[in-house]
Amino acid sequence: MSVSAVSISQFSLPKAFQVEDHFTTISKPIWRWRRQGSPASRIRCGKREAGEMLATSMGKNYYELLGVSVDSNAQKIKQAYRNLQKKYHPDVAGQEGHEYTLKLNEAYKVLMRENLRKEYDASIGEMRGNYSSSSLGRTSSWNGPLRPQGLFVDENACIGCRECVHHASSTFIFDEALGCARVKLQYGDDEQKIEVSVDSCPVNCIHWVEKEELPVLEFLIQSQPKEGFGIFGGGWERPANVFMAAKSFNKQTHNEKHGRNSRASTVEEEETPAQAKARADASRKINMEAASGLFSRFWQWQNKPFWGEKEE
Amino acid sequence: MAEPAYTVASDSEITGEEKSSATFSETAIGIDIGTSQCSVAVWNGSQVELLKNTRNQKMMRSYVTFKDENPSGGVSSLLENEQDVLSGAAIFNMKRLIGRVDTDPVVHSSKSLPFLVQTLGIGVRPLIAALVNNVWRSTTPEEVVAIFLVELKAMAEIRLKRPIKNVVLTIPASFSRFQLTRIERACAMAGLHVLRLMPEPTAVALLYAQQNASQNSNTGSEKIALIFNMGAGYCDVAVTATAGGVSQIKALAGSAIGGEDLLQNMMRHLLPDSESLLTSCRLDDIKSVGLLRVATQEAIHSLSSQTNVQVDVDLGNGTKICKVVDRGEFEEVNQDVFDKCASLIIQCLHDAKVDTEDVSDVIVVGGCSYIPKIKSLVMSTCKKQELYKGMNPLEAAVSGAALEGAVASGLSDPFGSLDLLTIQATPLAIGIRADGNNFVPIIPRSTTMPAQKDLIFTTAHDNQAEALIIVYEGEGKRVEENHLLGYFKITGIPLAPKGVPEIRVILDIDASSVLRVLAGVLMPGSHQPVNPVMGVRMPTVDDGHGWCAEALNRAYGSTLDLVTVQRKI
Repeated sequence: MSVSAVSISQFSLPKAFQVEDHFTTISKPIWRWRRQGSPASRIRCGKREAGEMLATSMGKNYYELLGVSVDSNAQKIKQAYRNLQKKYHPDVAGQEGHEYTLKLNEAYKVLMRENLRKEYDASIGEMRGNYSSSSLGRTSSWNGPLRPQGLFVDENACIGCRECVHHASSTFIFDEALGCARVKLQYGDDEQKIEVSVDSCPVNCIHWVEKEELPVLEFLIQSQPKEGFGIFGGGWERPANVFMAAKSFNKQTHNEKHGRNSRASTVEEEETPAQAKARADASRKINMEAASGLFSRFWQWQNKPFWGEKEE
Repeated sequence: MAEPAYTVASDSEITGEEKSSATFSETAIGIDIGTSQCSVAVWNGSQVELLKNTRNQKMMRSYVTFKDENPSGGVSSLLENEQDVLSGAAIFNMKRLIGRVDTDPVVHSSKSLPFLVQTLGIGVRPLIAALVNNVWRSTTPEEVVAIFLVELKAMAEIRLKRPIKNVVLTIPASFSRFQLTRIERACAMAGLHVLRLMPEPTAVALLYAQQNASQNSNTGSEKIALIFNMGAGYCDVAVTATAGGVSQIKALAGSAIGGEDLLQNMMRHLLPDSESLLTSCRLDDIKSVGLLRVATQEAIHSLSSQTNVQVDVDLGNGTKICKVVDRGEFEEVNQDVFDKCASLIIQCLHDAKVDTEDVSDVIVVGGCSYIPKIKSLVMSTCKKQELYKGMNPLEAAVSGAALEGAVASGLSDPFGSLDLLTIQATPLAIGIRADGNNFVPIIPRSTTMPAQKDLIFTTAHDNQAEALIIVYEGEGKRVEENHLLGYFKITGIPLAPKGVPEIRVILDIDASSVLRVLAGVLMPGSHQPVNPVMGVRMPTVDDGHGWCAEALNRAYGSTLDLVTVQRKI
């Protein structure tokens, strides 16, 4: 079975050296010998479990890794971190837990420090509180761990039939003021109820969207709400097509970020033309590899600037 | 479960015995090898139990006498009187000497011990010898510890009626990785397999986590404790955050100061101008020093409970000491030691980014915890009115080791008493020599383990084809102030102006604290290492490593130097 998860007395090239240095290195497998500690612990925790855990941990962001919502406070993160450590720490799970624990430690370190967390949030496009602060209570919160997709009601299309609220009353809420429904709590009901409620919408205005998109959509659908103005749709303050608006919004923030990074890199160090070329080449190569899926798990998981991590 | 047909232990594995005994059901025992006292504990199925020797002692003096043909240790042998330990035939305080070279100040301070500690001051292992029939019989710290471990093992086997193989040992936080290999070596010599080496305060932290787990379950809030452990040889401090049975070590600090220093300072105070006597190897002088040592030790013990004590001792060489010593004097002559203790606590709190008001419990354990000054200084440094009471100061570390032994052996407890975990942190920074003679840390002190960090270096000279990676551990800015762990050479760097080749050094520490150093060269225009990457398990140095750095310097000068790549500030 998953013996291959560990290389025994055998070298495999550390991926670190196939990695361009704009990326952190924490998720790289590294060769190692079998350590005496593991046989004992293997009795407790099967290798398979650890292997699966490793596989599924790839391609997750820090919040997903810790199984907490993006607006979790330090207390919650700490608790989640401890619970996961209890399961996957190499003392418990054996050597297979090594990579996973490395990542847990990194995730914990970043999320526990406010400045690092802000930086990280920006890098993964999570907008913790930033956009919704002006209109608290209008965005959905999460029940249970973060999942890849969330529900979004296109309030432009909603006709206010209340079907969804009827079928899944913990998930949806009807906004009497606006005359349309919206999501109050993601996964507030069981999956069957949610499915029925989505199907029940006569105008199909309930959408499954990627959870990365959700904050943007929820932000845009309610942008510039004014008291006593506009009932639903049509108002100039709300984009007619929220999905298109989200796309351009993302593009814009991406460009901003990109611009910031390139500015940063010019000041952070002086590099020779040769070094600059090496960097550019390597990063292009890596992007290609990422596309081919070979290393995608690393990049999805971690795409923070290399130098950022070194700051202590 | 598919197991490989066989595995080969790496050559650099110290305990060269079979590693993966898949059939594995025994519970590892916990051993606390103290500088002056040892103890053994085991999880008996419901709680931690300390094992007693045939004389019904839980604490056994750590010494080995070479009186007869067969050396015997403090576990089995019975001493007629205290002076026997000090006749030159008994070796003790090995924890202070193990893995140290003869340029180490701790080794020099051990010269006042009543046996032979010979130093040449060139960075090799000191010569240690016991007086047997008027002959100095040489031994090594590892051998002495191993003899002692054999006795502990035999005692535990009798008590538990089963063979003992796996152990969890507690070690001082300030031990270098090289010293850890020496401890592992001693265990291998004794036929024991080290499951874990736990810094002493983290063992105490685990016990604390267990005591607290029952009170506040998973939902319970986090408690921060400061643990101060001072024994005869070492002083360690840890800050731990505990919740739901998980003890997360936030910072560690340690130093080779302890009761032995207090004792020596006091001996010098009682007998001024005694330097020549203390370091003498004459038989009569050794006897005198032995008598002085016993008297001083008794006086210090008395001063823990009374404010002054009468010292009355005839050293047998015409010198008689008759003096009343009060507690104030004792505290004054040891001011430096106490100051150092306080600075360790402050450093540890700082590293943990914890304020004193966040600390819920202050735990003081170890032999020195009975000294009033130690208690008051810890309380005042932590701004607390009282200390944590739920622990026996002498048994806390060994109990924690026994808990870790049970957890690491895969035991579980129906009442959840073993639902525990320690998340360890690195006690010392690890890095390499670069930018001249500077120590550049790659993994800083108090980093959560397992840890993996990397740093980019580059060549110091044009057309430099080779580079030396010299790995150190410690806190000093200059490499000489740190412990050398090993070195290797990167070869085949393509010829290029200085600063162009990127030499990437990765340090990886796994949860069992195994350190691996990887280094490779990346050239501009390629993301593949130029040559196969070097991967070295550290430490690689052996005894006499004090020579190495100097020899390397003599052979290569600065020709193979590295410099750090400039970083964003």
